[in-house]
Amino acid sequence: MNDQHEQRLARVLVELADTLVDDFDLLEFLSTLVQRCVELLDVTAAGVVLADQKGGLRMAAASSEQARLVEVLAVQADDGPCLDCVHTGEPVLSADLAAEAARWPRFVPVALEAGFHAASAVPMRLRHNVIGSLNLLHTGPDVVDEARVSLGQALADVATIGILQQRAVGNSTLLIEQLQTALNSRVVIEQAKGVLSSHGGVDMDRAFSALRSHARSHNLRLSELARTVAEGTADLNAILPVTPHGRPVVEPDRRRQ
Amino acid sequence: MVVVVVRRRPTEGPAMQDHRLRLRALLAGDGNRASPALARICALAVSELAVTGVGVTLLDQPGALDARQQLARATDAVAAQLEDLQFTLGEGPGRESVITGAPVLVPDLAVAGTRWPAFTSGARTAGVAAVFSFPLQLGTIGLGSLDCYRMSAGSLSHQQVSNGLVLAELAFEAVLAAVTDHAPDDLGWISDIHVEVHQASGIVMHQQGINMREALMRIRAFAYAHELPLAVVAGRIVDRRLTLDADE
Repeated sequence: MNDQHEQRLARVLVELADTLVDDFDLLEFLSTLVQRCVELLDVTAAGVVLADQKGGLRMAAASSEQARLVEVLAVQADDGPCLDCVHTGEPVLSADLAAEAARWPRFVPVALEAGFHAASAVPMRLRHNVIGSLNLLHTGPDVVDEARVSLGQALADVATIGILQQRAVGNSTLLIEQLQTALNSRVVIEQAKGVLSSHGGVDMDRAFSALRSHARSHNLRLSELARTVAEGTADLNAILPVTPHGRPVVEPDRRRQ
Repeated sequence: MVVVVVRRRPTEGPAMQDHRLRLRALLAGDGNRASPALARICALAVSELAVTGVGVTLLDQPGALDARQQLARATDAVAAQLEDLQFTLGEGPGRESVITGAPVLVPDLAVAGTRWPAFTSGARTAGVAAVFSFPLQLGTIGLGSLDCYRMSAGSLSHQQVSNGLVLAELAFEAVLAAVTDHAPDDLGWISDIHVEVHQASGIVMHQQGINMREALMRIRAFAYAHELPLAVVAGRIVDRRLTLDADE
């Protein structure tokens, strides 16, 4: 890692630490974290999956809300680097996914279809529990090296700290409540994306971007804004302006791939 | 070209599936088919979570904080009394779980005094030492809560929490199934739920000017009427290849 890289890392850590104030939005924090992962680690995409208390894995944040990436993260509830990583508590790497079809029969076809050829997952560890994992995905085959994985681990540890920070999680009871709240908020965000996508005639990624930038520019919690959209009480035109013909004002519609 | 990939269980690992299958088998194996699904779920919660009693309260206006509550089922008089307390006081673990969308686990009410002072006082007077509430919830669709209590303090095990979450999910299914009058073997759609189901619910809500619960029920009814998996119908709605009619 060169000096420039270290400076970027330092800035990111400061930015993330800065967001860990009282009553911050966990999903917004994880969303920022995965975007910074993409920039810092030079990977194509990144995501966080959390273990739900029923024994499954669920996506909590993705560096883009494009349907294909969401699918690649979601399928890891069945098999894939994230699931193995959460089970073993160790980093899981593959520089050539095409060779791993037997290891991950569900994940590999979905990942290849989405254009990813390399993947790694690092654990989010909390004492003796693994509460989720950070997943790095790359279209090229060369992304998996030790330096990237250890930097990825540092960022995964920051994500874990974020989860601990949100409430004083002194015991496992509060942690369970915390994780389930985040996972339900993620469902609320999906519902809100649907409402906005119908309102603006845009795809899910655009709908999420509009939600997120409105929350930021108006200093609102992402989860709270999503809730008002999904409950039908938000001013949708303020979040995603459309012309009288129902087209988005800013950009033409980008259809989902 | 959009390819809809339908997987048998898109969002869960094998452990979770086994777990749910086991609880579902226990429910199905209950000889008394005439007893309503919620009653059987409550009875199963008592044994699986090793609690003293269980109550289910439903909201008739899901989502609204001032929603009217209605006791749907209680295994005993104390469980009914706890639901009544929450209704009267407007506070308590079940109510909180519907607001946060997450379970509220209170292993020892004696040290939870400031959270809901009036409820805690009433519950302890009734001899209750611990309460564990699980919401019947999917995003903004909150139907009510499954509230368990014990006469002695102590945490639920990880496995018991897991059982509580799965049983709350089964109760969510059962309530929707009762409302739409679909066959009991329709149970199970929710465990196959896909992220596109939530997105499609949002689209249908906006298109038809209805609430999120009604939107989900319309998608579900369409899938049922056309004998299609819910995820397939949802995927078509998200891709704009299918628009549900308002009267569907």
